[in-house]
Amino acid sequence: MDLLLQLAINGIANGSHYALLAIGFGLIFATTGIVHFAYGPLYALSAYFVWMSVAWLGLPFVAALVAGVAASTVVGMLAYLWLHRPFERNQSPAFVVMIVSLGLFIVVENGIGIVFGTDTKVLEEVTYGIHFVGDAVISELQIAQVVALVLIGAALALFLKLTNYGKAVRAMTDNPDMAAVIGIDTVRISVLVFAIGSAIAAIPAVLVLIKDGATPAMGFSAVFVAFVAVIVGGLGSIRGAILGGLLLGMVENLGMWKIPTEWQSSIAFVVLFLVLLLRPNGLFKGQ
Amino acid sequence: MLAKSMKPLGFLVLALALSAPAARAETYKVGAIMAMTGAAAFYGTVMTRGAQLAIDEINAAGGINGNKLELVIEDHKGGKPQPAVSGMNRMINLHNVQAVLSSFSAPTLAIAPIADEKGIMVLNGGGVSAKMIGASKYLFHNRSLATDLARALAVRAHERGFERMAQIGIKDEFGDSVIAEASRIWKKLGHTVVATEQYPQGAINVDTQIAKLRASKPDVVANWGLTNEAGRIVKRMRDLGMKQPAITMEWGKEAKKAAGGKGDGTEVVSDFFAVTDDNPWGQRFAKAYKDKFGEDPEYYAANYYENIFVIAELLKRGAPWNGAAMAAELRKNPTFDSVFGGKMTYQSNGVAIKRVGLFVVENGDRKFVKLTSTKID
Repeated sequence: MDLLLQLAINGIANGSHYALLAIGFGLIFATTGIVHFAYGPLYALSAYFVWMSVAWLGLPFVAALVAGVAASTVVGMLAYLWLHRPFERNQSPAFVVMIVSLGLFIVVENGIGIVFGTDTKVLEEVTYGIHFVGDAVISELQIAQVVALVLIGAALALFLKLTNYGKAVRAMTDNPDMAAVIGIDTVRISVLVFAIGSAIAAIPAVLVLIKDGATPAMGFSAVFVAFVAVIVGGLGSIRGAILGGLLLGMVENLGMWKIPTEWQSSIAFVVLFLVLLLRPNGLFKGQ
Repeated sequence: MLAKSMKPLGFLVLALALSAPAARAETYKVGAIMAMTGAAAFYGTVMTRGAQLAIDEINAAGGINGNKLELVIEDHKGGKPQPAVSGMNRMINLHNVQAVLSSFSAPTLAIAPIADEKGIMVLNGGGVSAKMIGASKYLFHNRSLATDLARALAVRAHERGFERMAQIGIKDEFGDSVIAEASRIWKKLGHTVVATEQYPQGAINVDTQIAKLRASKPDVVANWGLTNEAGRIVKRMRDLGMKQPAITMEWGKEAKKAAGGKGDGTEVVSDFFAVTDDNPWGQRFAKAYKDKFGEDPEYYAANYYENIFVIAELLKRGAPWNGAAMAAELRKNPTFDSVFGGKMTYQSNGVAIKRVGLFVVENGDRKFVKLTSTKID
């Protein structure tokens, strides 16, 4: 039972991490139709921005976090404006835009290695404690992952529901052509969702930086998990992205209770296949 | 009469000999198949640094018999066999490499048949899987293999009186071989393996594996993580409340950083590279490395630095630039100077005997304790 409880705690924490990734990735994907593979290395870049702010610029952690989120937001916006937008203007097919994003993935990942080096970057200044739940352990970082999901998820839901920009995002998610017809500036909204999605990605990136350190290749698993969680949860649904991420996290952990852990990376695909078999549009069809 | 008629012929031969062009200096291209990209790119960086440093030193001293060396690098993308095979073929076909520095077990195993077919000498200084032994008659290793290190780790744990061992390592050729060997020896010593957990290549989050290790209540954890993985595993063990000692086979700068200050007390059994007074070559190498790259060398850098000097020594001994010939020369005379100190001798199985040391982590860095045994009493 102790092992089950520990796996459940790990599952919720990891699931929260995946859900945060899925929210940002899903927002961009659902609104713009762009499969933003470069989301992974841009997520990694966020971690490096924060690390650089502390290690090279000497900023205190909180200031570095703000700087990292801001830098990530700007880079995300530029990724859309400088890379994706020219292809959209030329009405390039979707797969061309996808290839462009893959190209950006490779460039950014290798660029991180060249600029920052391939060694692991850590923030030893930031420490955290642990608490016991029976014999199971929950770390303060795991608590931070769950709290971050709750706060960001709630803030995003309120933004989408209550603000004009949020309503415009939802309209564009439903039907981008109609959104343009009724006068919504779809380019501005695309820039906005790239900004929000990239800003959100910075939070789980920083938590991983504190927990495990940052490496140039850390973005691959992030975008992979985000993609699977969004598809499982249902494209266009924030609630779906959250639940998709949590489901993945729980299955990856609880599913290993009796199965050898070397199967852990395969479990995401099993979940994906099963969900799509039963519900081809994902758990939630989207707004 | 005959002597008189031979004179013009003699003059002709002399004239031809004097007019023959002097032998031109050649550039011998040494191949290197490394992890230049991907999660393990750190290895490729330090390994190629070591090799290139050696080549620069040799060339600056005039080369070997006037011939220079050049490094040609291919990327196996973090241990993937297919890019290793493509890279090997490219190096042979485009650059006529006769000696290749390989790394990681899976790529080395993948290129072994090509080495046999084409007669290319392969020198491994990184991969540890015992499956590489005998994979090619031209394959040699200047690092202790998994069997040696697994034995050393199990002997150390046995020495400390532990009974229940848990193991954690990567799910690949290397991880499978060290875990299997350590399990075999641990059981032979009359003890119990209570948990074995493995993680996929490139995995950063190992919390599930740590949770299962913790639940198995071991006395000691055999940590088969490499570079930053070794440190990350220890950190997560401590983060999740595990107080059991960990023994690992690798602990360098990457592990120190990833451990986040929680690595102290970890024991390390590893090839013994130390910059000591009785090792002037090692001192020169470490200084040159630090001057060029701004940091102390990892022992992987030392292994590949040493491998280049093995090639150079074979050529100096008279072997032609031919993989099969160099390999034959190595087997004929298997003893070489070692940057690790003293001499190293290649055994008949192609593995060089090197000293294995026991270290303990203090203030994040490993501190030498003693030379350790790989023999089971």
